[in-house]
Amino acid sequence: MKVLILTVLAFLLGIDNVSTKMFRRPLLMAPIVGLVLGNLQASLAIGATLEIMWMGIGDVGAYMAPDLITGTMISTSLAIMGNSNGSISTMIATAITLAVPTSILAQQLLVLIETVNCSLNGWAKKLADNADVKGTYWLTWPSAILYGLACAFPTFLALQFGAGAIQQAINDLPKFIINGLSTAGSIIPSVGIALLMMTMLKKGELWMFVILGFVFSAYMKLDILPITLIALVFAFLYERATREPKIKSVGNGVTTNTNFENQTDEDAEDYDL
Amino acid sequence: MTEEKLTAPEHKLNNRDIWRMFMRLNTMRITLNYETLQGVGFMRAIAPALAKIYPDKKDLSAAMKRQLVFYNSHVNFDAVILGLTAAMEETTSPDEKDGINPLKTGLMGPLAGLGDSLIKFTWLPIVGSIGASIAFGGSIFGPILMFILYNVINMGMRYYAVSFGYKKGIAFLNNNQQSDVIQRISTMANVVGLMVVGALISTVIKVKTPIKIAVHSNISSKVGNNVISVQSMLDKIMPGLLSLLVTVAVYYILKKMNGKHAAMMIIIMMVIVVGLTYFKIL
Repeated sequence: MKVLILTVLAFLLGIDNVSTKMFRRPLLMAPIVGLVLGNLQASLAIGATLEIMWMGIGDVGAYMAPDLITGTMISTSLAIMGNSNGSISTMIATAITLAVPTSILAQQLLVLIETVNCSLNGWAKKLADNADVKGTYWLTWPSAILYGLACAFPTFLALQFGAGAIQQAINDLPKFIINGLSTAGSIIPSVGIALLMMTMLKKGELWMFVILGFVFSAYMKLDILPITLIALVFAFLYERATREPKIKSVGNGVTTNTNFENQTDEDAEDYDL
Repeated sequence: MTEEKLTAPEHKLNNRDIWRMFMRLNTMRITLNYETLQGVGFMRAIAPALAKIYPDKKDLSAAMKRQLVFYNSHVNFDAVILGLTAAMEETTSPDEKDGINPLKTGLMGPLAGLGDSLIKFTWLPIVGSIGASIAFGGSIFGPILMFILYNVINMGMRYYAVSFGYKKGIAFLNNNQQSDVIQRISTMANVVGLMVVGALISTVIKVKTPIKIAVHSNISSKVGNNVISVQSMLDKIMPGLLSLLVTVAVYYILKKMNGKHAAMMIIIMMVIVVGLTYFKIL
């Protein structure tokens, strides 16, 4: 019964991933799985770990990111189902180990759907020829169902046949591997943080803010929320200090651009459009 | 591009039409394909508006075909382009229709970059870190707070951007005075994001080493006093020093690979950590 509920949930989340995008992060999905399976505490810890691990990930340009939706669903559910009496750190270790391969495998299904979607072009063109606005309503339905199934089908398979195997593996593996994976659970999120830093560190001088946040947290033991509020103040001051006067008006209303050489387009990233 | 200033134009679309465009905008990405990317979705999203703008069937058909071209941008900024395109279709004279697609194509690249850097790589990580740090404490309030904060921006922005693009978009394009507001916001968001990231390094990443060094001491002959834990020594230098070093190392390795093989990196790190655990270093 729980497997069925989770399969339906995966179907809905799979559609949400490509439309409204309201639940597409691990931290938002894992607690729902936890509520269904009756272990909220473990799901919160797993969700938070996966959230930070996949933090800076996103498909920029031609690079396609792993499919977090299916990966999170499968790894969270199996981690909780496969450790009926295990500790939370073991569950996190299981979830992290499963998250990467499942996400990468699920990604291939999405690529397949996007290829199948090419047939929609002919349909849309026919509708445009006939100026049929009412007919356009149905354009998204086939693909939406496909996307839902692409998420629900692997989830169902994994939950139906995987839970026992996971339980078996955890019992049979040597202790140091489980302990090592638990330790990895608190080190792996550095990948997400590093990916995020790559997109944000546009200038070398911005390193000081990373250090500042680290000092506030490590030495002063502040929570994230007060640090965010302090960061707003620093951000305001930094922005004021580095602002460049863009346009100066010269007397008779003629505007001249003062700095042509500084007109670098900082947001010009390589999008394969 | 029309050069005339629009003085209180007669809007053909009312709020209900904008709502319909918003609802169809939400399902725009579902039809993504390798031929026209989001072209089909864009046509579908704007079709109800076009039906209202062009009562004549022939014009409507031509307009729908015009919107069925290659298109790809960021979902939250699609909204602006959608509203703007509707406004353009409405206000341009028949021989100016060729100017609509170049405008769309010209806007989609920069706006996609902006959407990625503001929403995907700044706002989402900030609310994600706040939510995650609360969730680590075992409170359901973390995900709920993240959901509310993220979706107020995510969904709210989509609706308002459609109506902004439709009602004020052309006027906004005509005077480019506000263009540096976006630049300012993204600089500020960058700084906030980086400080939150710095805080995360010490709260989330926990690297502790159990290595103990036995030191032969002549001062005290007591047993137990001559074992020094490396971890406590490191903590005296700086709390969370190892976490910082690990993160910086991962950052430089990923930078060398242009951030492409993050998944491989995670697997390799797992193997390394398990290996180090076996040798009792971690």
